[in-house]
Amino acid sequence: MSEENIKSDKILDTRGLTCPMPLLKVKKELKGMKSGQILEVLGTDPGSKTDIPNFVRKRGSQLIDLTEDAEGFTRYYIKI
Amino acid sequence: MEATTLTENVSDVEPSETLTFWKSMKEEAEKTYALLFYNRWPSWLAGILMAILALMIFLWHFPWGISGGYHNWGDWLYYLSGVTDTRPLFPWLHPVSVLNIGMIGGALVSALLSREFRIQKTSQLEYLKGILGGMLMGIGSAFAGGCIEGGFYTAIGIFSMGGFAMMAGLGAGSYIGLRYLIWETDNMPQNTAYRQPVSSRKQRFLNWQQAQPYLGGFIVLAVITAFYFYSFFDVTEIGGICFFGMLVGIVMHRSRFCFVRVFRCPLMTGDAEMVKTVSLSLVIYAMGSAVIKWNFLQPDMMGVYHPFWIGSLIGGVFFGMGMIIAGTCASSALWRMAEGNTKIMAAVISFCIVNPLVTEALKYSGIENLLGTGVFVPKVLTWHITLPLYALFFLLVTQLAVWNEKTEKFVIF
Repeated sequence: MSEENIKSDKILDTRGLTCPMPLLKVKKELKGMKSGQILEVLGTDPGSKTDIPNFVRKRGSQLIDLTEDAEGFTRYYIKI
Repeated sequence: MEATTLTENVSDVEPSETLTFWKSMKEEAEKTYALLFYNRWPSWLAGILMAILALMIFLWHFPWGISGGYHNWGDWLYYLSGVTDTRPLFPWLHPVSVLNIGMIGGALVSALLSREFRIQKTSQLEYLKGILGGMLMGIGSAFAGGCIEGGFYTAIGIFSMGGFAMMAGLGAGSYIGLRYLIWETDNMPQNTAYRQPVSSRKQRFLNWQQAQPYLGGFIVLAVITAFYFYSFFDVTEIGGICFFGMLVGIVMHRSRFCFVRVFRCPLMTGDAEMVKTVSLSLVIYAMGSAVIKWNFLQPDMMGVYHPFWIGSLIGGVFFGMGMIIAGTCASSALWRMAEGNTKIMAAVISFCIVNPLVTEALKYSGIENLLGTGVFVPKVLTWHITLPLYALFFLLVTQLAVWNEKTEKFVIF
């Protein structure tokens, strides 16, 4: 699906959803994953671009990459 | 070329081309543009600017609110569909409606100048939540005599006791609303709400991304021109409100300022940033309105009509549930709508339909009289006690929020 080298363990599609749904779903998804796994999040909400990185930093995880897809949405790669 | 060889001999510091005044100005303008419209503004800065603008609006005409404008738009829907026969005030002459229109204009300016305008579509469930949330906010505003801005932010800023009662209600309503959202993600999982944007389907003849900033600049000019028009027709005050509305819209959109976060974040992620921001903003707002009211520049009871305590509390609970489910409050709805968010447009329409209906129902049933009356805090406690108590209250609120951020005591899941 993506040209990236990062291999994600799970993909969460939040495209079309607006604040607070993307963050709520990310939080729920991260809870069920193991340390070291990578979650790929797709999103269209402009607010998520600051919300998701802030939240990930706060819970001690790592945002490995954030890329803009040509189709007009953002991909976030989060390492638990 | 000849000119440069001359200067080269004179000094070796300066450059191959001369920096004219206009060139320097152009460079500065480009730098400022990038600084203002490529970056998000920090929320603390927005908090300070919001308090200053709210105070200017207060001095200029009235304490800031939003829902009165929605009420006016709703009245027009009823009038045009023949349900009522008294013609409401024209939306371009109704002060709160004009403030709202100014805010939409400002947010549109900001979205266009930063090339962020895009029609965002979503799933049926999300539209339904927008409509339901808008209805609940419309009901809440009718009870509390204002939305989260007029009934909470401004009410507290001008020392109306109802604002504190609404704050408690908003907390409770947010808790219920968030519980619902969590239940929804567990029980009604949506695989995707994605609809492909219209613009990417075919190549437009006009480069939309390139054109956006010019359109934004055009709207700024239009609002300024409107001010002179209003002034020409002897309603300078309304023109000023429109201009201030535009500034509020720009500040809110650039910082993505959202009152919902004050109540939602401490319960959802524990994040205390917006609690700190709005507390700071309210302390500045209150200092200003103390200067204005204690010094008799505006009457004591101006804007103090929030039904303390039953109306404000019940209104807060309804509004709190609605804003969490819709994902917006009345003011952030204006800038989210201007950014192209269609779910929020649905919420605003249902707010406009429901709010006048419930307001009238409360009036005719007599329930209105049971909800309480406006209480001006310094009248009860005196200015000397009110001011330190106020400062102490917000110090306590921020400390509590920071403690919650560290311990997640109030975080629901």
